[in-house]
Amino acid sequence: LVFVFGAVTSCFSLQMSIGTFRAPGSGLFPLCLGILLMALSGAHVLRVLFQGEEGNKERPVKIPGLPRQVILFLGTIVAAILFFSRLGYPLTSFLMLVALLRILGMKRWAWNVLLSFMVTGASYVLFVQWLKIPLPKGWIGL
Amino acid sequence: MVESLQHLFQGFGIAMTIHNIFYCLIGAIVGTLIGVLPGIGPIAGIALLIPATFSLNPTSAIIMLAGIYYGAMYGGSTTSILLNVPGETASVMTCIDGYQMAQKGRAGPALAICAIGSFIAGTIGIFGLVFLAPPLAEAALAFGPAEYFSLMVLGFVVLSNVTGTSLIKSLMMAVIGLIIGTIGLDPVTGVARFTFDSISLLSGIEFVAVAIGLFGIGEVLANVEKPLEVLEERVIVPRLRDLYPSLQDLRKAIKAILRGTGIGFGVGLVPGPAPVIATYSSYMIEKKVSKHPEEFGKGAIEGVAGPESANNSACQAAFIPLFVLGIPFAPPTAILLGALLIHGVIPGPMLIEEHPQLFWGVIASMYLGNFILLLLNLPFVPLFANILRIPKKILLPLVILFCVTGMYTVNNSIFDIWVMLFFGGLGFLIRKLDFEGAPLLLALVLGPKLEVAFRQSLMMSHGDFGIFVSRPISMIFLLSTLAFLMIPVIRTAWRSMRKGGGT
Repeated sequence: LVFVFGAVTSCFSLQMSIGTFRAPGSGLFPLCLGILLMALSGAHVLRVLFQGEEGNKERPVKIPGLPRQVILFLGTIVAAILFFSRLGYPLTSFLMLVALLRILGMKRWAWNVLLSFMVTGASYVLFVQWLKIPLPKGWIGL
Repeated sequence: MVESLQHLFQGFGIAMTIHNIFYCLIGAIVGTLIGVLPGIGPIAGIALLIPATFSLNPTSAIIMLAGIYYGAMYGGSTTSILLNVPGETASVMTCIDGYQMAQKGRAGPALAICAIGSFIAGTIGIFGLVFLAPPLAEAALAFGPAEYFSLMVLGFVVLSNVTGTSLIKSLMMAVIGLIIGTIGLDPVTGVARFTFDSISLLSGIEFVAVAIGLFGIGEVLANVEKPLEVLEERVIVPRLRDLYPSLQDLRKAIKAILRGTGIGFGVGLVPGPAPVIATYSSYMIEKKVSKHPEEFGKGAIEGVAGPESANNSACQAAFIPLFVLGIPFAPPTAILLGALLIHGVIPGPMLIEEHPQLFWGVIASMYLGNFILLLLNLPFVPLFANILRIPKKILLPLVILFCVTGMYTVNNSIFDIWVMLFFGGLGFLIRKLDFEGAPLLLALVLGPKLEVAFRQSLMMSHGDFGIFVSRPISMIFLLSTLAFLMIPVIRTAWRSMRKGGGT
């Protein structure tokens, strides 16, 4: 994957002006980096392949499976960002906190809602009222 | 020397205004909290609070952010001692004997020695900074683009060598960071690169988004995966009256504190994650010089005093390359560099002349900050320890809320939040694959400087790469880089030779 990233970088760099070493263009530096990255990833693969156990003292390289809780957690943040402008800061924060607390095991709804409400209120006072940061108001207009 | 002292006194005049004392206090408190709480480190902490400094003048802003940095280092020792969980990587060595002391009911003296050692180290470190920074800044005026390029390359290689499990993996992360750093307008010609016609990408990838993503969101996701109730069950909260160390403790610790200070300051001046190397070196040296090395690992107070002093001293010394060269050697100072640039201050050899108020004000504030931290850490340790009782299931969503809100406030941009989330996912994955995020972040911040230095050097030499080795200072940096690259190869060859000889 890292090798592919290096290759893609090099390809896009070649579409820019490379210039000469005397007068380097915009593409020269990223092209060098792309080639260097391909070389490093190649060296890493060779090391893992040929050094056997010695090279594999680190844990073997494998793409890890994402646990359900992490996916739910990430999904909630994605949903919150998607609705951030439309619902506004206070409502999005409140709903996101309720969902995240629930995912992490806060089973009692009353505590969950109360805590989310209090934290949202505190952050609203801190960021919007005190620091005067223009956060999205959304349709509730707060 | 006298001139430096005069400037320092003027700096105290700036730092001691009510306004700056307030921001120093806020920085120290928030930093301690960040250090104490698992799930958010100084890098994400400083990055998160940069937006809060937009309305401040540059001096007050950097005073507050620097306070967060060394406050987090103080706070990190609390979790190491009470939980055996290092709040920061620099606190790993403190865990060994600190936690053992806590197990024997001596958490109080361990925490107090940390605070006292850090205060002494911080104080001595500041005087080192005062006397070393101005002459170094003068020397740095002789640096041209070739020297800067070679120094930055050395910084990447040293950082990659000592972080993570593999040099190649860390170097890959650094190169990825450099590539990400090329997104946006070319710093020399102004041509758009890798923007794919997106206006949001024209100004490049926001480094705050990368920092919060990799070190804030990534850490939270890694915590979400772990069993949630592990931490809360093991907190040992010492009582106030049990905090004070005995005279014997102090006698044992003082030499370790002084040695740790010296080691930390020296290590802080060279490229690499200074606090980590400094704490490790200090622990090893203390063990070597001790008359009772067998006590190490079982609760030796020198094993806490030395590394904690080295940690604090290295943090102070790390400000020297940041201020006088404009080159941060570690991620927290890289974030501070970003903050300085946001506030329109360009660090480098001319900083002391162009912004004397900022330079001397921040240095004086560090002394003040250390004093505040000493006052905070001794009587309020039980309070900070109690914060550790906040369940992670409550803490982690709060961190996410602060990350999202903090990120939006930087540019009022939803796009930046997406970037942050992307790097959060990446941070989580690279942790699982044993990669290291620090080289990527440092490379991202230094990338544009490195490219400009590279291209300027080639233009100056009319395309001759010999410029990097024909200039003596540059050659020394490149030879050091080569030496650091060869260390793992020689180590592996030595191991296989010994293995071959043994069979």
